[in-house]
Amino acid sequence: MSHRLKLLVVTGLFFTLPALSGAQTRSIISNLANPAIGFNALFLEQAAPDLNQPYGPQFQEAEISLISAVDPTWTLTGNITFSPDGVDPEEVYATTDSIPDISLKIGKFRADFGKQGTLHTHAFPFLQAPVVSVNTLGEEGFKDVGVEASWLTPLPWYASLTLGAYGAEEGAPDQPLNFGSPDHANIPVLGRLKNEFDLDDDTTLDLGFSGLAGAGAVTGTGRADGLIHAVLGADLTFRNVPLRQSNQRGWILSAEYLTRGTFREGVFQDESDGWFAFLQYRWSQSWWTGIRAEEAFNASTDVLAQADPSLTGHVRRASANVTWTPSEFSQVRLEYSLAQVDQVADASRPMDHRLMLQFNYVIGFHPPHAY
Amino acid sequence: MKHKKLCFAAILALALNTPAFADLKVAASLSDLASVAESVGGKHVSVISLCKGYEDPHFVPAKPSLMKAIQNADVFVSVGLELDGGWLPLVIPGSRNPKIQVGAPGFVDASEGVPVLEKPVGTVSRAEGDIHPLGNPHYYMDPKNLEVVAGHLARVFSDLDPSNAADYQANAKAFDGKIESALKGWEKELKPYAGSSIVTFHKNFVYFADRFHLKLFGTVEPKPGIPPNPRYLAETAAAMKKAGVKVVVYQPYYDADASRELAAKAGGTAVEVPTEVGGVPQAKDVLSKFDFIGSALAQALGKGK
Ligand SMILES: [Zn+2]
Repeated sequence: MSHRLKLLVVTGLFFTLPALSGAQTRSIISNLANPAIGFNALFLEQAAPDLNQPYGPQFQEAEISLISAVDPTWTLTGNITFSPDGVDPEEVYATTDSIPDISLKIGKFRADFGKQGTLHTHAFPFLQAPVVSVNTLGEEGFKDVGVEASWLTPLPWYASLTLGAYGAEEGAPDQPLNFGSPDHANIPVLGRLKNEFDLDDDTTLDLGFSGLAGAGAVTGTGRADGLIHAVLGADLTFRNVPLRQSNQRGWILSAEYLTRGTFREGVFQDESDGWFAFLQYRWSQSWWTGIRAEEAFNASTDVLAQADPSLTGHVRRASANVTWTPSEFSQVRLEYSLAQVDQVADASRPMDHRLMLQFNYVIGFHPPHAY
Repeated sequence: MKHKKLCFAAILALALNTPAFADLKVAASLSDLASVAESVGGKHVSVISLCKGYEDPHFVPAKPSLMKAIQNADVFVSVGLELDGGWLPLVIPGSRNPKIQVGAPGFVDASEGVPVLEKPVGTVSRAEGDIHPLGNPHYYMDPKNLEVVAGHLARVFSDLDPSNAADYQANAKAFDGKIESALKGWEKELKPYAGSSIVTFHKNFVYFADRFHLKLFGTVEPKPGIPPNPRYLAETAAAMKKAGVKVVVYQPYYDADASRELAAKAGGTAVEVPTEVGGVPQAKDVLSKFDFIGSALAQALGKGK
């Protein structure tokens, strides 16, 4: 090698080195693999003359969603909610799609129970969770630590079977199920069968059955009550999305029945049950309307609970709303509801009128709309 | 007798079309990609498209039946650039099919290798509407880009089914040849209107306009994903009149009334032109789609002259 060439190589190295080391420094910490981040906020204005609370604006909830592939096998999702009640790691779970025909979910999440039970607050079709949901499965579904496997069966239509197992948990105000038995064998289990049929290009029929059961405890004692507590449900949904106007028209007609009870000597004894049915109609890209009817038996609701949390009654409620969605990322919804309760203990019949206005915003990552 | 023969042929054709006989089961999110996959795969593949040509590819309802339809697919061809980002994240995992999950050999992002237009520079703000943050994903509106897709698919099909690799390569080459010769015809047809302006409902003619030297004057929707309002339509119509723009183009899944209203106010015409295969019955594959678009536009622009 000539001296000149050597010199060139050396000077070349000299000039390359700092550049290289600079590049390396920059790549030690990189944000390029950051998860997709979404942020959702819900504000509510409420006028409820029958409740002992002031009218006016409320901060309902904010939610941070993070999702990313962990590696070729796992995807991790986190939904952390912030509300006046505090911070809740509502859902934190890993999923894998590496097993043929089965998807596996591990962590803390909403159990795959029914239709309403799997919805996040910002995706509720009506501002208030159905009375029967609040009294059976929980206002925001059954959220617990567990594992779920969902099998897409080889049947010629879409038929999936989900089996789940969760941690034992005692009942709480937002968790009406009593799965508190300290027995080692107490592992609450879930089963759900979901079928979907395309009736034509635009219309689908969705039929599901769900069950969730676990061993209970005598309230406040931490001792097993020797009983199996369960929630059973059935849901039926007709949905129409005209393919030529998939972003402009359509309707959803849906009904769900839920019952919570106890197995005594193998026989299910209902403690609280009810149903709801709703119709949502989309007029245009930006406008939706909806009506809902519901009935719940032996149920608690706000007007009763403000007098005495242990009171229950026969609740009937009707709701109607109109929704304006100026874009995919914001929504304003006006909703009126009227509930009437037949209260058995003192034969009173309290009513609950409400007018609500909700503002719903999402920035960043927008999770896809579940069908 | 003749009838019987025909029947038999039909049954045979059906049987040959059933996935069980194909070497590769291919599914695509868009009908145009399915059409290219059919050309490249030939007799060795069965192909389905999840989005029908008359359906808005931005808003495909994530029906469970779509998940079922791809449960056993060997290859999934996505448009990429987030055009199908609103529904694929549900449908692909919902299929419980490890072969086509993102990152698996059977998952194809068809936008790879395509020269992307309208890539945002700097940050992306949704104050500008539901813009495509990775660039304009309607690249399948330039026939040349479909040659890139064909080459990509030939490589993927060959990797997954090496015994038919020679056929896939030959089919892709033949497809390129067909596009090249047809392109000459489309260019000739639209040459007299080079430099002419059109209004489209959505920004889905960017690649087409680039290829055939048309100008895009504006859109019927004020911003991507935001529905038109009367004031905006009046302003746009006035601007069109002033500039002498007379052609408004919309797709089967967009608001025809708003498009017609705009055209009428501007003293022009609105024409329904598919951007996807199957958008109108005549657009049976990518070649006949461009045939249709070419003649529809030439006719509409010719009227204005
Ligand atoms: Zn677009």
